[in-house]
Amino acid sequence: MTKTILLTATLLAVGATAQAGDIHGKVACKGVRDSAYAVVYVAAVPGKTFAAPKEHAKMDQKNLVFSPHVLPVLVGTTVDYLNSDAVLHNVFSPDACCDKFNLGTWPQGQIRSYTFGKECAATLLCKVHPEMEGFVVAVPTPYYAVTKPDGSFTIPNVPDGSYTVKVWHPKLKATQKTVAVAGATQAAFEIAK
Amino acid sequence: MTPVLNCLRRFLPAQLALWLLLLGLAQPASAFPIFARKYQTSCVTCHTVFPKLNAFGEAFRLLGYRLPKESEEQIKQKPVSLGSEAYKRVWPDAVWPSELPGNTPVAVNVKMASLYASAYDPTAGKTITHNDFQFPQEVNVFAAGTLGEHMSFMAELTHAENSDGSASTEIEHARLGFESILGPDNLVNVRVGKFAPNLYAGFQEMWLMTDNGVDPLFNYNPVGFKGGVGILDDAAGIVALPARVRGIEVYGIADHRFFYTFGLMNKIAPGANAPVSGSSALESTGLPNGNFNNNSHKDFYLRLDYKFGGMGLDGDTEGVQLPPENWRENSLRVGVFGLKGNGTGVDFLTSDPTGTMVDEAGSFHMQDTSYNRTGLFASWTWSDLNLFGTYLRGTDTLQLRSADNLTVLSENDRTFTAYFVQADYVLRAPLHLSARYEKLTPGDTSVQPLKFANFNVSYLIAANVKLMVEYRRDLAETRNNQIATIIRAAF
Repeated sequence: MTKTILLTATLLAVGATAQAGDIHGKVACKGVRDSAYAVVYVAAVPGKTFAAPKEHAKMDQKNLVFSPHVLPVLVGTTVDYLNSDAVLHNVFSPDACCDKFNLGTWPQGQIRSYTFGKECAATLLCKVHPEMEGFVVAVPTPYYAVTKPDGSFTIPNVPDGSYTVKVWHPKLKATQKTVAVAGATQAAFEIAK
Repeated sequence: MTPVLNCLRRFLPAQLALWLLLLGLAQPASAFPIFARKYQTSCVTCHTVFPKLNAFGEAFRLLGYRLPKESEEQIKQKPVSLGSEAYKRVWPDAVWPSELPGNTPVAVNVKMASLYASAYDPTAGKTITHNDFQFPQEVNVFAAGTLGEHMSFMAELTHAENSDGSASTEIEHARLGFESILGPDNLVNVRVGKFAPNLYAGFQEMWLMTDNGVDPLFNYNPVGFKGGVGILDDAAGIVALPARVRGIEVYGIADHRFFYTFGLMNKIAPGANAPVSGSSALESTGLPNGNFNNNSHKDFYLRLDYKFGGMGLDGDTEGVQLPPENWRENSLRVGVFGLKGNGTGVDFLTSDPTGTMVDEAGSFHMQDTSYNRTGLFASWTWSDLNLFGTYLRGTDTLQLRSADNLTVLSENDRTFTAYFVQADYVLRAPLHLSARYEKLTPGDTSVQPLKFANFNVSYLIAANVKLMVEYRRDLAETRNNQIATIIRAAF
């Protein structure tokens, strides 16, 4: 009797997982050194809206580099910019979708923040160090991932259903396709200039 | 005036003088292992036998040292960013972003020459021979690369040790390029500095597999009575197509196959041009001495080309079947070109009407107040054979002036025609043959034409090391000839 109950519970749990699977696969980025830094995300889930998280996302400026280089966030998220270097840093964006914000200049250990209120692929620059470049990609759902250098990605806990999945890259043309999610689902993309 | 040239002009018959002078003239090298490192590719990707470029190499050069449709992944040495790409959107409120090469973009060419030369001295009635180990004859230090998407640079410093014991160091090239600055890609490009102008694409020494250049085009000086003073070193400030210019050039490619270039350049007498008064002035006229502002006139040039068949001039291969041997294609490139200049105010020593050089005291001066050079270029490639040549017509308005008061004694229009035909053949991938015939005919039919034959066998010991044997013969005076055995390495 006990064994039957355990088996039934296990089957129910497996069934529940299958209803919220994941999207995994690869993005092949043509014309760049590797396939890292593509953001893959579900464009919308019909009938659902997502509240912005209370917890802030973080982007560091360390060794004259934005880290992470590409940071996807849910629309409404506030991003904290920490300066970990012993030199002054600045963060600004030339993009209208984030009101071309400029957070000024601040020293080591301090943080300045900006809230991304709408969808945006924001380029982040530092006026003090023109070679620095980072990206915050504000997307409308919490289902997103950033590709590894081999192009692989996994978006976990996506409800079963049919979705438009978009791919954005800092240097390559964006693309999209419809993906029918049913448990663990594979999707492959190719993007180029 | 260089002591060597001065001496030769005074005491030797013109033809012997020119032959001896040419013995020590080093041809610049033009192979850039910098790019072999940058792209981690072999020299033969771009060169048939360096410095001669194949169609891909010519496209690479014309694109400002970029691969056709170049992508980031093809560049193995990651460049140093001098500004994020996104700064283009911030410009002009911020500095336009560019890049530096990932490694120091420097390369070295070394040239060793064993030279046997024979020259006939009609005055003494004997033949003078030299047999020299010119180890090294010259060393070239190159720097070349790109500075981001729209800028490039190239510089070459050459140190040569000459057969007369002298040595010289020269900045042979130092130029900046601005590529694809207007309109479609590759249509409008600008170069500024000292460079071999695209006016000569395909027939100047930079494009040739031979050690010797084409003297009737680049070293003939028409200034003088009748046929001029003959072949002289370009460094002497002669009125010929200058091997390298200080200038500004615009060039571009349209529809993959049409090529144009035009430019404005300093030409003759980049040296002193003091008012002529007495013998001292004769020492400093019509010659370079490191100053650039003495002949304020500028030369203008123009060239238009079209390439039929083969790879496009920008590396385009759409609709073209090309064999894996990257020197092969079936193509024909034809072009027309012209140069117009004004040498007023630049005085040249001149001979008397018999052709004998007169001594400085009381001698005459000549000014080339208007010179025009027009020509045709054609290059036909059929599998392993490349047959190419140039026809040139020159017209000069020469003013004879007195030494002391610049009185114009006479003014004459002179003409000459010059041409060469060269056949290069790839016998095997490392083994190349070349034969060239050159002729220059002054308009004055009483003057003997200049004729030369040049033969070369080149063997690539490695992609960056070549051995060549070259024989050059003066067909008008067959006792003037030379054989050079040369090793060149680029690293």
